[in-house]
Amino acid sequence: MTSADATQLDAVIEADVGIVGAGPGGMAAAVRLAAAGLRVVVLDEGQRAGGQIYRQLPEGMQNHGVIQEPPSHDAGHDLIQSFEGHAQGGGAIELVRGATVWDAQLGRLWFEQDGVSRLLRCGHIVLAPGAYDRSIPFPGWTLPGVVTAGALQVMVRGFGVVPGQRALVVGSGPLLLPTVTSLLGAGVEVVAALEASSRMRALRAAPSVAFHAARRREAMWYMKQLWRNSVKLQWGWTVFACEGDGRVERAIIGKVDSHGRPRKGTERTIKCDVVGAGFGLVPSIEIGMRLGADTHMLPVRGGHCLVVDREQRTAVPTVFAVGETCGIGGAEVARAEGDLAAAAILRDLRGLPVASALVSQARAERRAADSMLGAFAPLPGLHDLARPDTIVCRCEDITRLRAEESAAMHGESMRAIKIGCRAGMGPCQARICGPSLQAMATGVNTCAMDVPVVQVPLKPVRSETILNAPE
Amino acid sequence: MSGRVAGLGERELVVFTFDGQEVNAWQGDTIAMALWAHGQVAVRNSSSEGQPRGVLCNMGICYDCLVQVEGVAVRSCTTLVKPGMIVGRGGKS
Repeated sequence: MTSADATQLDAVIEADVGIVGAGPGGMAAAVRLAAAGLRVVVLDEGQRAGGQIYRQLPEGMQNHGVIQEPPSHDAGHDLIQSFEGHAQGGGAIELVRGATVWDAQLGRLWFEQDGVSRLLRCGHIVLAPGAYDRSIPFPGWTLPGVVTAGALQVMVRGFGVVPGQRALVVGSGPLLLPTVTSLLGAGVEVVAALEASSRMRALRAAPSVAFHAARRREAMWYMKQLWRNSVKLQWGWTVFACEGDGRVERAIIGKVDSHGRPRKGTERTIKCDVVGAGFGLVPSIEIGMRLGADTHMLPVRGGHCLVVDREQRTAVPTVFAVGETCGIGGAEVARAEGDLAAAAILRDLRGLPVASALVSQARAERRAADSMLGAFAPLPGLHDLARPDTIVCRCEDITRLRAEESAAMHGESMRAIKIGCRAGMGPCQARICGPSLQAMATGVNTCAMDVPVVQVPLKPVRSETILNAPE
Repeated sequence: MSGRVAGLGERELVVFTFDGQEVNAWQGDTIAMALWAHGQVAVRNSSSEGQPRGVLCNMGICYDCLVQVEGVAVRSCTTLVKPGMIVGRGGKS
């Protein structure tokens, strides 16, 4: 879109329901609401519906089986199709692309789109902003070419870009598998795939996979892909350091103990030109917090999550939250919760009953996800990977040592550490360093941390966007 | 070595410059992905040390891939390329 087009955008748009996020949760809610005749506006930071999990290529490109996709993505494609059906010219759904939400109040969502300041006015709000990769600082993690596991997925499945020739995949949790298969689909050699959890710990997830037909089918599919390509998942291994001149050229890998602490003497050097690291996911909760939703700490679900009632309603009666923002659970959870939230809104607005099957479906998916992800909850010992001179805050170039000094001098709260050394005060607003900063600075190896402080703008936007914000 | 996955179809060519160098991109590319496919993985110099940085999250969260477009710092992973766009390295020069 050119600037000329952008200036023709209405400053204010209106909808019965405003949805943040066009992933499975947002799409499921939007489709149900649209089918009932409500006008729905969906704000998404990307250019196409699907979210991170069902990333689509840019318009005009097609993945005709070039990049293999797991069986669960069939359901995703069906959902995208019905969403896009409702979103076509004059349909009940309007998808606003490239929209960064920077403030929210009851019935109002302010966003920046292509440099233009806009406002969505709506009755109900459904939050489905998703999640992002949990990063654990290690020496060399700032080198270009070292990215998150999610970044590689976006690269391959979202843009058809080949990340490199020799890739190393490290981290923990079920998302390592799709990262590996996407790389294989792009013709990249996967030199190693390292899961920090031990096989014993991961086995705790086995029952929840074995007794859930879709997850079982999914796991079998991944195993087949890995086996076919002679890629072996190495349990109890991770990356210790990355090295290179201006970009990553090699990685030091090694074994970790059952707490994630690196084991000396197990190091090996491996050549690679791209590294994807994903130690689970962190829920995006700031929009919900700004709107007044309560939060609670659930390590199994990735940290601080929004609190919702049995129909996905937050403490604010007109604000609903679905999917990862209520804790990491995956696409099936998000979809079931999106469906349920939409049904509850239809009862509010139209007096329609909420089918009990929707409630039980959402609960069953959530239970299955919780029991699977318990085996991959963050390993606190991984915080030992960072050395004193390792940068922990990438925005402000703050080393672990400086964060430690700050905590010793100013106190161990997030706020004290930030004020003392500026860690977490850069443009990512502590989204990247926050989940591990307190553990880094205090040496207390915990994955718990203070509730994030919500500030406006919720993401950095141009000052003109804030000054020219429509009312 | 980076590049494009074959067999997914091609799109219209978009030419822009990064640090004065011409880069061929495809319509629908973000700046970050066009540069990565071109082999340019470092796009920013870090704020105090001036170290090379590139994409970390590729989904608009980390702000590590900031570049300059018309004097404004933008996330190269969420900003689409436009013909003739002049993109400068982000951060310290």
